[in-house]
Amino acid sequence: MRKLILSFFVLVFSFSLFAQGFNVSSSGEKTFNFTDQGKRNQASFYSTTPLEDITGLTNDINGKVSLKVNDIKSLNGEISVSTASIKTGIDLRDEHLRDENWLDASKYPNIKFTIKEVTEVIQLADNRLQIKFSGDFTLKGITKKISGDATLTYLVESEQTKQRAPGDLLGVQAKFKVKLSDFGVKNKVVGQKVAEEVEVSVNMVGSSAS
Amino acid sequence: MNRNQRIINFLATLAIIVILAVWLSHGAEIFTKTKILVDNTTELDKLLGVKNEIWVDKFILGLDYSVAAISFIIIITIAINYLLKTKRKEL
Repeated sequence: MRKLILSFFVLVFSFSLFAQGFNVSSSGEKTFNFTDQGKRNQASFYSTTPLEDITGLTNDINGKVSLKVNDIKSLNGEISVSTASIKTGIDLRDEHLRDENWLDASKYPNIKFTIKEVTEVIQLADNRLQIKFSGDFTLKGITKKISGDATLTYLVESEQTKQRAPGDLLGVQAKFKVKLSDFGVKNKVVGQKVAEEVEVSVNMVGSSAS
Repeated sequence: MNRNQRIINFLATLAIIVILAVWLSHGAEIFTKTKILVDNTTELDKLLGVKNEIWVDKFILGLDYSVAAISFIIIITIAINYLLKTKRKEL
């Protein structure tokens, strides 16, 4: 009896180790394109200081991500956003954001993230996974390793998903923190209006059809 | 203080109260904004576990513009008060 219970737990543990993917009707390797013509994908940063909370947001996201549907650790790809497209709600501040002391949009037109590794996986539902990931984040030409959390949701193509795009859809909600001084951003130029560490959030949907 | 000065001071006080009321009604923000984020999440977005926000043009009066406007009103009021001062008849 003891061996039976032990075998059961070993079996459960084995499944938790290896069954780290979406349990959906699609299978095999898929590539999701996150370039949305409707500009509904978005990346934002959030900064909080005693003086002011600032949200910067862009809908100009491009990139592709590949994965094996039943093995999320195979996740790889690159996502980029256009630096000049980030808006903060104040036109003058947007201009400052683009200048050379800040993001220097003319010299560095894109901010990139390359997914390198999935370190932890929690299965929230058959089509939803919570992961911890790491990768190379490039800002102002400086690349550093960054880790973050993401929730991935897989929807197999249906009449409802076709409203957004053809093919299977992958919804990604990711968050990670960026220390501005690590990337040569002089945030003290405007009197510490922006926090030294900003939280980056990504909400995007990719389609396997395009 | 003569009658004209009292009218000018009353109007200036009223204008300052209106500016402060608008500033408070706009959320007492420190900096004036020209756009705000509005939630645009659809049912499909919720199924996909993502949210969607969009920038919408809207003027939000901040403390910066409010203080500038109030300072301008005070300076103009002082100047007008000076100009409207009743001149004493020379003996």
